[in-house]
Amino acid sequence: MRIDLQGASLRFGDHEPLFEGVDLTIEGGSFVVIEGASGCGKSSLLRLLNRLQEPTVGRLLVDGSPAGATDVTDLRRRAVLVPQTPVAVPGTVRDNLLWPFSFRANRRHARPTDDLLRHRLDALLLQDVSLDDEARTLSVGQRQRLALLRAVLLEPDILLCDEPTASLDGVARAVIETLLEARCAAGAGVVVVTHQGFTAPATTVGRVRLQRHGLTVTA
Amino acid sequence: MSPVTIGPGQLLLCLLFVAIAGGASLALGLRLERDLLWGTLRTFAQLFLVGYVLDFVFAIDKPLLVLLVFVFMVFWAAHAVRGRVGDSQVAVFAPTFLSMVISYMAITILVTAVVVQVDPWWMPQYFIPLGGMIAGNSMNAISICLERLLTGLRERREGIELALSLGATFREATSDLLADAVRAGMIPSINALMTVGLVSLPGMMTGQILAGVAPVSAVKYQIVVMLMLVASTAIGTVLVAWVVRRRCFTRAHQLIVH
Repeated sequence: MRIDLQGASLRFGDHEPLFEGVDLTIEGGSFVVIEGASGCGKSSLLRLLNRLQEPTVGRLLVDGSPAGATDVTDLRRRAVLVPQTPVAVPGTVRDNLLWPFSFRANRRHARPTDDLLRHRLDALLLQDVSLDDEARTLSVGQRQRLALLRAVLLEPDILLCDEPTASLDGVARAVIETLLEARCAAGAGVVVVTHQGFTAPATTVGRVRLQRHGLTVTA
Repeated sequence: MSPVTIGPGQLLLCLLFVAIAGGASLALGLRLERDLLWGTLRTFAQLFLVGYVLDFVFAIDKPLLVLLVFVFMVFWAAHAVRGRVGDSQVAVFAPTFLSMVISYMAITILVTAVVVQVDPWWMPQYFIPLGGMIAGNSMNAISICLERLLTGLRERREGIELALSLGATFREATSDLLADAVRAGMIPSINALMTVGLVSLPGMMTGQILAGVAPVSAVKYQIVVMLMLVASTAIGTVLVAWVVRRRCFTRAHQLIVH
């Protein structure tokens, strides 16, 4: 899968544009880290990539065709966005992880078994969390990992992560970074936006900085 | 039993009641005299106007005119809903009005043609009061439902967009919210089923009894009306919530209410 954002500008109402002329390409196996100051529009930029929002100017291409030609639920199923606020829906940890599989667009996926869920939670250092725990009682850091796992279970072609390590300590942060690298090595495209740096292997990662006048390559 | 009709003298005598209220206002310094006077005048004017219009409609006895009066009533009910919901981002009037006309029309025809078996089904004496009760009653239900729906879309925005981000359609992302909103709209009319006759005597039934109808006959009518109101509330709120929800999202399933 390949997503191209071309000449994208975003402005809200009569305000100054958040950014202008952003060009960005994401494809399988690419890993892009987008850095930038708070409030520069990083989160909004991610929302353009899975069409939660349309750019004011510019266009989005999915596999070379205008995004409008692709069913939007199919696009979002394949290019999953993990928002910065880790939202837990009412119910248990299991309910939260299986929730996306109740959507029609995801029904072709096999629902993961409890064993698999347990294994994946352990891998994210969530050994203390039971599948039957109320998800809303988890800490922010635990919910952040839960939210990422919920997205990863759908095996998306592209993962769009908004500050995926913001609420995590050093060890948990390293686990997330390793997970995202592994997804990338397995052929998925990964986009991470962050204002605090993201330590991933320099060889595979393209680093860009979002500014008012577009993206600049920083490494 | 034949009803006692009220003549002009008796009507004027009733002004005594207003005078009593006005006296109380003066004595206690409530400063309600002006409003009381204006309200009394409007009551006379509005009700006589409606009375003469209905006399006219009954006399002409044409289905198109009856339906026109019906649509006119529903228009003002939809207008009141818009006023109460007061949302500037989503245009609720057109979908509300259209959904109300369709669902109320269906229910009213069902009641007159199938339940009461009036011939013809549009006989104004039946169609207009029944249609009016439906419009007036479910207006409240629809207002509550829409308020809940639009507030919910704003308050639960994060959760809704999360669902969308994971591949949900806007319907899947808001199915719980829609159910909550419809439930909130329907609860008052279900509560009314529980308390009718115990807490208050319904106005229509009281009116029929005053007009000389035997209480048990009036009760039968009232039961038809109560059940009719539950159905119209249910259909009206579901339909309006369904259509308005659609308007809160773009074709690309993007939430536009914020």
